[in-house]
Amino acid sequence: MFKELDPLLHSQLRLAIMSLLMSVESAEFTFLKDKTNSTAGNLSVQLDKLSEAGYINIEKSFKGKKPLTTCNVTKKGIKAFEDYVNTLKQYINK
Amino acid sequence: MKTESENLTAQQSLDIITAMIREAKGKAQKNAFYFLFWGWIIVAANLGMFTLTQLGYRHPYIVWLITIPAWIISLYRGYRHGKEERISTHFGTVSMWLWICFGICIFTLVGFGHKLNYQLNPLIMTISTIPTFLSGVLLRFRPLMFGGAAFWVFGIVGFLTPAEWQPLIGASAILCAYIVPGYLLKNRKDQ
Repeated sequence: MFKELDPLLHSQLRLAIMSLLMSVESAEFTFLKDKTNSTAGNLSVQLDKLSEAGYINIEKSFKGKKPLTTCNVTKKGIKAFEDYVNTLKQYINK
Repeated sequence: MKTESENLTAQQSLDIITAMIREAKGKAQKNAFYFLFWGWIIVAANLGMFTLTQLGYRHPYIVWLITIPAWIISLYRGYRHGKEERISTHFGTVSMWLWICFGICIFTLVGFGHKLNYQLNPLIMTISTIPTFLSGVLLRFRPLMFGGAAFWVFGIVGFLTPAEWQPLIGASAILCAYIVPGYLLKNRKDQ
């Protein structure tokens, strides 16, 4: 009996965001937008979903006069990602 | 990139994860600047000190003052890059603190150099093993690990060598530990 994959992570863009954030300490919004090749609006919505679930932290500040959004993964997010990968392994090794 | 993909297969999910982790990998080549910049500065200082010693100049260590503008350039460049960088990585943080600790130790040794009769070259070469070797480990770049080991060997050779020849040992160590790995790193293709 396979465990169900976390629906919050089982989406192309959210999985891509989490994979990027798992590899770094923190990343700026523009970095995530470039690497995931997404639109600012769509990325913003998905970041909010991940943040509401407690998977990521979003910090808003300023870089000079420009607003700066920085994201980093939380402990809960790390756990969810690890669980997702472990479940994925089950599917691949079946 | 699509938002909702309930039909993602396990393989597609795995491909996304792999591709994104690869995207987040920093370019190791940018670190080559510091090894080459400091490599040539220290080679020049060592050779300058050796030449002035041979010419009988009373204060040959004066050439080491060229490291002051080098520190300023390094710090300015590091600050500029830090501001431009859009991600913060564990490697970057560990690497930065490793070299800052090393820099503080060097300043301390130079500050108390009179207690050691200014025979600092072998000592500095020996402790240079630590940040150089560990940078090689962090970058997964073997030539830099060999460079760290070379510092250790040249440190021992330095302790066994008369003071007036030590700048030549120092220059040779830097050539093996910073300059050769630095050029190899600069020309390394992304894996």
